[in-house]
Amino acid sequence: MLADLIESIAKIVFIFSVNLGFFAPVLGWVERKQSALMQDRIGANRADIAGFTAIGLFHSLADAIKVLTKEDFVPSGANKFFHTIAPFLSLVPAIVTFAVIPFGGHYKLFGHDVHLVIADLDVGILFIFAFASLATYGVVLGGWSSNSNWSFLGGLRASAQMLSYEVAMGLTIIGVIMVFGSLKLTDIGAMQVNFFRWGIFLQPLGFILFFTCAIAENKRAPFDVPEAESELVAGYFTEYSGLKFVMFWMGEFLEIVTIGAIVTTLFFGAWHLPFVSDRMLLSFFQFAGPNGANMLAMLVNIATFFAKVVFFIWLQMAIRWTLPRFRYDQVMKLCWKMILPLSLINITITGLVLLLWKK
Amino acid sequence: MTDLDQTKYHPMVGVPIETLKPKKVRKNIDLTLWERLYIFEILRGLYVTTKHFTSNMIGFVVAPKGKKRSIFTVYYPEEKVTLPPAYRGRPVLVMREDGTEKCVACGLCEKICPAFAISIVAGERANADRYPISYMLDMSRCVYCGYCEEVCPKEAIVMSSEYEGLAERDRSNLRYPKEKLLRSEESVKDRIEYIRRIYSKCNY
Repeated sequence: MLADLIESIAKIVFIFSVNLGFFAPVLGWVERKQSALMQDRIGANRADIAGFTAIGLFHSLADAIKVLTKEDFVPSGANKFFHTIAPFLSLVPAIVTFAVIPFGGHYKLFGHDVHLVIADLDVGILFIFAFASLATYGVVLGGWSSNSNWSFLGGLRASAQMLSYEVAMGLTIIGVIMVFGSLKLTDIGAMQVNFFRWGIFLQPLGFILFFTCAIAENKRAPFDVPEAESELVAGYFTEYSGLKFVMFWMGEFLEIVTIGAIVTTLFFGAWHLPFVSDRMLLSFFQFAGPNGANMLAMLVNIATFFAKVVFFIWLQMAIRWTLPRFRYDQVMKLCWKMILPLSLINITITGLVLLLWKK
Repeated sequence: MTDLDQTKYHPMVGVPIETLKPKKVRKNIDLTLWERLYIFEILRGLYVTTKHFTSNMIGFVVAPKGKKRSIFTVYYPEEKVTLPPAYRGRPVLVMREDGTEKCVACGLCEKICPAFAISIVAGERANADRYPISYMLDMSRCVYCGYCEEVCPKEAIVMSSEYEGLAERDRSNLRYPKEKLLRSEESVKDRIEYIRRIYSKCNY
């Protein structure tokens, strides 16, 4: 009982420190630096502590200090309650979705079964979608309650876009669920031991559609019409400043991580190294004794998982800095006329193949 | 009929419209099917940006040598670009070696200045040379057009390559007197050579 509690707390602390302590600040730096390198610029490199710049990493720290000392501004005529609650509604779902994402398999440490997932829900992927759709409220409320035309237009666009892509995203994932026969993310992860049974080989179209929908759901370029800088100042968070602004900002970055984690879990073999099964890994670390072998295998699996996540974060950043913004009608057309029919076709083909396969 | 009869006289300007063949204008620029699939075009775009990213990333770790530098950013306060002589910085008065100005206070620059930035009070020395008693250049009005330099018959006012220190908290400080404008001939040598070429002032 106590061991379970310690295990849970350790996992929660780990996920929190990785997400909020590492990914959220570092991604701000990554976005600046990666975009700079892609565009033959230098990027942030001026903030320094005693002449030591750490290739621009201190900019995150400088931003944090700036944000903490800023005025918490509520525009006149704004609905103060909703204006305050909107950033929370935007940030919390992005953090909560990590509860069901497995970042490793299960290991026997000192006679105790360790499952590397905070909450091993049977409805894992549905839980993620349910909470991801709650983020829509944050955006819409933030846009509406600001009493600003830019925010309002941004909120309207966001509501239409996010609701549309919610539908399409749910359908794109059904192919994967049909193939693996489970909604439980740990099961889906565990089934991808064999390299050629990874989701990307079973559902290539599903991957492309899901990735597109996920980027659109996260409102990043090329789908950043709700916050289109050139049209709507900053869209739904125009009137936000200080920590509230940062909560929107962090929510966006944590969603990048979440999308990377979901894509890794569903399509890219979760915590498995290609061609290396769990038993092979354990026998490879046999020299360290049973506990040590499990420990080392766990570390390797966690490292593998996060390496994959980092790759998908990089890919999302690269897409964001490569493609120009869609027009609003193109965004809607892409969703309802392309992705939705294609995902339905994907479901049909998957169903037919599964039916014929089993006979 | 008078001479103004329009039917007799056709001034030919350009190509007559009858000889022009109608060009086929692509109003709807149709994408090919390959382009409309979009995913491969995305991959092509990603290839370009990733190429830049990786080459810069390698250059980030291993510093590239010599002229093969791919990032051309200038770290401004530490590094400065060498400006070409065609660059029009703030106008300065050219000084002779004995410390007096070349200006003869003819007032042409005052006349041509489109922003009315220059105001001159002319005076006369003992040897009957004209000189400006006061030469006031209002930098808050100056638009850096370079007309004063173009019109000056004595190469006395030229556009230098100075662009720093032009910000003030008090606007009255931006009215530059003669003492603030004087620069040695040596410091603006390149520009004088350039204006001799560009404005054909070689025979002055």
